[in-house]
Amino acid sequence: MVKGNWALFEEDFWSINQILQTLMRSASSRSVMLIDKTGQLISSIGEPPGFDVTSFSSLAAADFAANAELAKMVGETDFATIVHQGASESLYLSLIANRVILVVLFDKKTSLGLVRLKARRAGDELMVVLNRLFNKLQYRNEEIVTTSLGADFQAEAESEIDSLFQD
Amino acid sequence: MSLINYSSREINCKIVYYGPGLCGKTTNLQHIYSRVPQETRGKMISLATEMDRTLFFDFLPLELGQIRGFRTRFHLYTVPGQVYYNASRKLILKGVDGIVFVADSQIDRFEANVESLMNMHDNLSEHGLGTEKIPLVMQYNKRDLPRVVSVADLEKELNPSQAPFFEAVALRGSGVFDTLKVACKLVLKTLG
Repeated sequence: MVKGNWALFEEDFWSINQILQTLMRSASSRSVMLIDKTGQLISSIGEPPGFDVTSFSSLAAADFAANAELAKMVGETDFATIVHQGASESLYLSLIANRVILVVLFDKKTSLGLVRLKARRAGDELMVVLNRLFNKLQYRNEEIVTTSLGADFQAEAESEIDSLFQD
Repeated sequence: MSLINYSSREINCKIVYYGPGLCGKTTNLQHIYSRVPQETRGKMISLATEMDRTLFFDFLPLELGQIRGFRTRFHLYTVPGQVYYNASRKLILKGVDGIVFVADSQIDRFEANVESLMNMHDNLSEHGLGTEKIPLVMQYNKRDLPRVVSVADLEKELNPSQAPFFEAVALRGSGVFDTLKVACKLVLKTLG
């Protein structure tokens, strides 16, 4: 695997999902998502959203990236959290470990204050799991990929590409 | 940057279509969207101005299906080509796994191609990346128009690293899938 890419393992995935579950319940939110800073969905917990989560993830990451640039322009390092408040649905986004974005979708059944409080706590817990994961990746990157993907994967993927991507 | 999730068994890769304004980046994605099977493509998102010029990006997720137990996806993005949207271009390059550079073959747009390519290298290096690390595919678009630069000259000026290249007429779809296929395959090679 090329440097800079990353992988998520079973044990870390479950730790992450547990933290997201707790956050969703304790903040009385509708759903909670964790998105890679580059716009890829890592995990989604709660009510299945009535929208396309893949597109949502790319837009949320772009939103965050644009806001980070705005922050720099006004002399801040970043805006660690962003809130979008609608008439009935709202979003709370926060950057964790400078790598992933925690998104909480909530409605009027809860308050921004509670969401913020619980999201901060979840953020601290996620930071521990993610830092553990990134440390692990530093040592295992090469080994992971050669054992898990390999030549068969490549050949099969290429044939799928040839059959699907054509006029 | 590609994300491999061993628990949900998913692989996601990001390919960015780069190039000067009006070179055909969005047209490439529109053609792909219109031709791939419905179950292969997600929703196409275009953040465009009222004049249909890309403001921030276009986004099209494609799914290969299960490959050796891994749900494999490619996320295609375009950048806004117009010069003054450089901040947006830089953001979209974040975490890129592969690049398709769409050059406009018209003689009048030759300088714009060179500028855009230099801009791409500058933006990549700000992310600590370079085309020696990120797979690149060149597409020479609008080959059907009169007054176009010869492919040999485009190759000489725009493709010193001899990345794979394709001639295209994106509006009619010619060359679009050839470009995409090679970009996807090169990205997969970097995974393992």
